[in-house]
Amino acid sequence: MKDSMYPKEKRRSSLRMQNLHLPSHILLIIWSFIALFPIWILFVNSFKTRFTIYDNPFWLPAKWNVGNYTAVLGNNDFLGYFKNSFMAVSSSIVLVLLLGSLAAYALAHWRGRASTAIYFTLIAGMMLPIRIASIRLLELVKAMGLLNTIGSLIPVYTAMGIPIAIFVLTEFVRQVPGELTEAGLIDGAGRFHIFIRIMLPLLRPAMATVAIYNLIPFWNDLWFPLIFINKENAKTLLLGVTRLFGQYQTDWSKVLAVLALSALPVITLYVLLSKQFIKGMTAGAVKG
Amino acid sequence: MKKCIVFLLAALMAIIPLAASAEVSLTMGSWRADDVQQMNNLLALYKEKTGVEIVFQPIDPPQYNTILRQYLEGGIGPDLMYARSYAPGRENYNAGYFFDCSDIPGLKDNFTPSSLEPWQNADGTMFAVPFAAVSHSVYYNQNLFDEHNLAVPATWEEFIAVCEALKAAGITPLANGIADNWDILEVAFLNMLPNYVGGAAERALYESGEKPLNDEAFVMAYTDFASLAPFLDPGFSAITYNDSQVMFATERAAMFMDGSWTCGTYDDVYFEWSVFAVPAREGSETRICFHPDMAITMNNATEHPEEAQAFLAWLCSVEGATEASKVLPAGFFPMINAAITIDEPHANAILALNEGKQTDARFVWPVYLDLYTPMLEQLNALLKGETTPQAAADFVNSLVQPASAQ
Amino acid sequence: MLLIPKKRRSIPALYPGAPYWLRYILPALLVYLLFMAWPLLDSVRLSFYTGNAANRSFTGFSNYVRLFAGGEVTDRYWGAFGQTWYFFAIHMLVQNVLGLLFAAMLSNATLRGRQVYQTIIFLPTTLAILVTGYLWKLILNPLWTRDVLTGAGLGALVYPWLGEASTALTAVSLVSCWQWVGIPTVMFVAAMGNVPGDLLEAASIEGANTWHQFRHIKLPIIMPVVGIVTILTFVNNFNAFDAVFAMTGPNGPPNYKTDLIGTLFYRVGMAGQHPVAIPDTGLGAAIATVTFFMLCCGVIPTLKRTQTKE
Repeated sequence: MKDSMYPKEKRRSSLRMQNLHLPSHILLIIWSFIALFPIWILFVNSFKTRFTIYDNPFWLPAKWNVGNYTAVLGNNDFLGYFKNSFMAVSSSIVLVLLLGSLAAYALAHWRGRASTAIYFTLIAGMMLPIRIASIRLLELVKAMGLLNTIGSLIPVYTAMGIPIAIFVLTEFVRQVPGELTEAGLIDGAGRFHIFIRIMLPLLRPAMATVAIYNLIPFWNDLWFPLIFINKENAKTLLLGVTRLFGQYQTDWSKVLAVLALSALPVITLYVLLSKQFIKGMTAGAVKG
Repeated sequence: MKKCIVFLLAALMAIIPLAASAEVSLTMGSWRADDVQQMNNLLALYKEKTGVEIVFQPIDPPQYNTILRQYLEGGIGPDLMYARSYAPGRENYNAGYFFDCSDIPGLKDNFTPSSLEPWQNADGTMFAVPFAAVSHSVYYNQNLFDEHNLAVPATWEEFIAVCEALKAAGITPLANGIADNWDILEVAFLNMLPNYVGGAAERALYESGEKPLNDEAFVMAYTDFASLAPFLDPGFSAITYNDSQVMFATERAAMFMDGSWTCGTYDDVYFEWSVFAVPAREGSETRICFHPDMAITMNNATEHPEEAQAFLAWLCSVEGATEASKVLPAGFFPMINAAITIDEPHANAILALNEGKQTDARFVWPVYLDLYTPMLEQLNALLKGETTPQAAADFVNSLVQPASAQ
Repeated sequence: MLLIPKKRRSIPALYPGAPYWLRYILPALLVYLLFMAWPLLDSVRLSFYTGNAANRSFTGFSNYVRLFAGGEVTDRYWGAFGQTWYFFAIHMLVQNVLGLLFAAMLSNATLRGRQVYQTIIFLPTTLAILVTGYLWKLILNPLWTRDVLTGAGLGALVYPWLGEASTALTAVSLVSCWQWVGIPTVMFVAAMGNVPGDLLEAASIEGANTWHQFRHIKLPIIMPVVGIVTILTFVNNFNAFDAVFAMTGPNGPPNYKTDLIGTLFYRVGMAGQHPVAIPDTGLGAAIATVTFFMLCCGVIPTLKRTQTKE
């Protein structure tokens, strides 16, 4: 029975398979709708006005109004917030990659009890709730004179990013064939040279993963800017958004334009690099 | 590799703070995020006069006290800042953050004792210079009133009748909601309260313990407040203060119990509106909640004490206060003891309500600020029908410390 | 790889020891210790003190006594404690179960459009909760959606979900699940990618249906990832702050029913209660310390188990 069924089934498999998947498709389409709905709401309503936002809130505006966007972009503060966020996030990521790859290189090659202990101490940070330390961090950042500058965020973000960097990069360095290092060593190249010349180029894809993994939490963080930064010209994008909430509070369409502009960079980057993003997100827990 | 170096350079640039400009520049903290434009105009005017630049840096209003305190403790407070009246401001003075403003020229001469009192310490020193007061009333949509032949109510009974008529016509009578957890107390209940418990002199009797906070007047106030529940939007528990403003501005509600600071918000609405005082019950006297709201003070840790004090002195001069009142958003009333005329008609209408009436600050501010949250929670429960006026009054009264009841 | 240990012995000079390698590790270790480990441990010390940075004095266990001895703080703490567990339970039940379900469907190689679905499911995760929270707050606002929903015959959905004590916390939890469901989904998809294809093929030839394949082949293989997802959910939920901050506010209204440990910590330790707003860092640190130890108790055994399984 089975034997006679098998070839036939294989021939018809593609069509039958998709039929079998019908419940999956239905469920996934429903969820896709739910996932995209608020984002749809965000964009259509940001083109309405304070008074027309009630007219059919779920649908396109009767008359497109770009005034909200020009008002927000005309606000110099907004571009400044954007620049601050960009600087804080990019410098933190560069530092995470730099410190993380150096340490990972060492931890992968130096075998011993101390190395293992350091390794576990460092990656335990993936699970540590750093916000609990906020009171202390605030005092620390103040003592360093970094309060009210985006410099206050960089060391904290770097510390937050290092554990995952060590975890992913150490694993990656271990996978680099030992012969490559051996050959370099026998040729008389120093370890540091090998790190720069051989390891770093090889680590590029893994570093991209780490960068992307850290990008979202750094960019979207409100907690640390909220407690470290007061000065208007040092505010990050999200912190600035909370200020603009106040300024535009009675005009929902303008608030939505602010939100849309703050979300746009991440959405664009995500849609362009979604495969990398998803790989980055899984790297922390699953070796793929 | 080159990329790495470029990134590193970018990182370094980010870490090195930008060089400060040579010109004297002060910062001013505020909870008035709505007033960026107006305050910038005022400060530009001041810069023109004196060459001193003051940068206005508002904070989202519900977060102001919190964030200001964090900044002061962190040593990054602004040079000048708005000071809340009574205890919230005094706390910052006692902690050493606010300047002792007692000797600012003009302060003692140009303000009446009752204007000074909200920012006065127990020993008579001043922790801020008064800047503006706000007044409470009921905003109403004149077009809707005309459409339904409704007259401005003169008594609480008439007010309820107006609410009923509007509701019967399918219009939400009141825009107020409770989701933000501050406005229902400050702009609705404390707005009504002077009609029941009396003005400043009677408030003192409650503060000294001669009258309990669950006397007949209080129970009546809670009763009348609770009777408003059916006239709010059915989803009032999720309606924020901003939602309320939007409701009124888009004609989704005919009235809004609020403070004068909002009156500039409705400049561009498509209907006529005006204000009336929350009316007292028939046979009682209607009183107004006129609240000393904003004062400005200097940070003790400022690097520019001279410039900051000069600005405070300017605010205490008749000239400065007049200039400020012209630029300030409508609905903030100068506190200086000088005849300043207000041009904005709506703000004038609000101020005109005070004529011939007793006024008082928001009841809990001067002494009973600890009752703020419990009272607010009782109000929420009353509107939701989870408690009774008597029980609410008894509960709030039970929290009065025996020490202050002597 | 097997050859390397031999070579290692043959040229010992090329295998430097600790002093050499520490030079590479030290920068990362220092930043990590200074900005993560030490502040965390020092928060424990702060919980035995009272006052602010300028004048701090030792008070022994009095902060803990205040936290647990009864009175308002204790009520708030246990309220937030219970609500955080509820928040966590909803995430386990909705976010992680949905993630598992989506992953089971998406890991099926014959399903068309897998990449597109996965991209869409993950999209909300990339947005700040400040943004999504505001949007959901708007969508759940009865004022805004009453007309359109009633018009569509969905009048039953018009309800102040975020304003009523009975629904607010569930609504906030579900929005948070909506936002983060992408993470367990992609993790489970990746884990299921490790399931050998021929094993599944053999099973389907043997007549095992989809459920059986999932239950007896996929699930055992992804079990370690289930552990990690649980830990991540646990740690994140016990620090959750943004979702409540963005949707109902730091006070956890209505009537503290959406108050979580994260928002309580913010209010007590960082912000202070409106309208006076004086933070109590000692008490805040005590809350943080209790949470920290609770997390350690939950995380360390699980971490050990999953690490030794490798």
